[in-house]
Amino acid sequence: MARALLSLAAACLGERRRDWALAMQGELQAAVEQGRPLAFAAGCVLAAWREMPNHREGRFALANNALALGLLVPMAGLQIAWAAGFSSPFSATIGLYGGPAPGSVEDLYLFEAFTGAVPSLVGLSLFLCLLQLRFAWLLLEGDWLRVAGVASLIASATATLAIFTGVLFLDGRVAVLHGAALAIDIAAAFVSARWRDRIFPAAPAQRPC
Amino acid sequence: MLALLAALSQGAQRWRHGYDLMNETGLKSGTLYPLLMRMTDGGLVESEWRQPSQPGRPPRHVYRLTAAGVSLARSVETDAAPSRGMAALA
Repeated sequence: MARALLSLAAACLGERRRDWALAMQGELQAAVEQGRPLAFAAGCVLAAWREMPNHREGRFALANNALALGLLVPMAGLQIAWAAGFSSPFSATIGLYGGPAPGSVEDLYLFEAFTGAVPSLVGLSLFLCLLQLRFAWLLLEGDWLRVAGVASLIASATATLAIFTGVLFLDGRVAVLHGAALAIDIAAAFVSARWRDRIFPAAPAQRPC
Repeated sequence: MLALLAALSQGAQRWRHGYDLMNETGLKSGTLYPLLMRMTDGGLVESEWRQPSQPGRPPRHVYRLTAAGVSLARSVETDAAPSRGMAALA
């Protein structure tokens, strides 16, 4: 556990402070002999975190984490909540898809299509939310090729959702919400990739497995 | 930082390990290492690698004050001496 924490500290310290990470690892045995390896290693992680804002790789990592955990993940969480049936602030209906008003023309002609399609559309919405989470994860990893792949998948699923909600006269704001989320994702990825290119000009687009 | 400066200034030419400094100053690793990094960046502390005393162990970093660090430690001690005297008289 202490070694894992020291590896985390080394990752947070980055290449510029590699010597310091090795210095911390060199002291671990002394901490073990005094029976306090975990406290020592936890302190080293804290030291590494305190150091992160002082170097550009650290600032980049902090900003990326803030973007992913502070924006993309909550956004996906909200979408999941709406898809799961919680009321949406953008719609008076309960859940993402309010049914046609009883007795309306849509109710008369589309009720069966509606009841048949809605479960699939809710499933597609949940799938989109999971894709959002995957997108956030890949953004953190800096795996830009897969980020682009997941963004394409989100765009395709959003387009499918928009088409089917349009055909069934359902609440189109759902697809608009997913589209807006995708726009935010792409903007975030673009900013992050540009920043990363400035810090690591020769970095590959995809991490080696 | 004053505690670390005071600890390093005792036998200023003596190299010390990080964990020994933690024991001497009572600072935790989360405080000690950022201080050491700052002081090294500022030219107050120098460090070097020492081969392990026992086989199978990793090399360890050792630290001591530079001339600038010694000078700072002395000036801090000089500044602190009158206030200590006043406190003793009170």
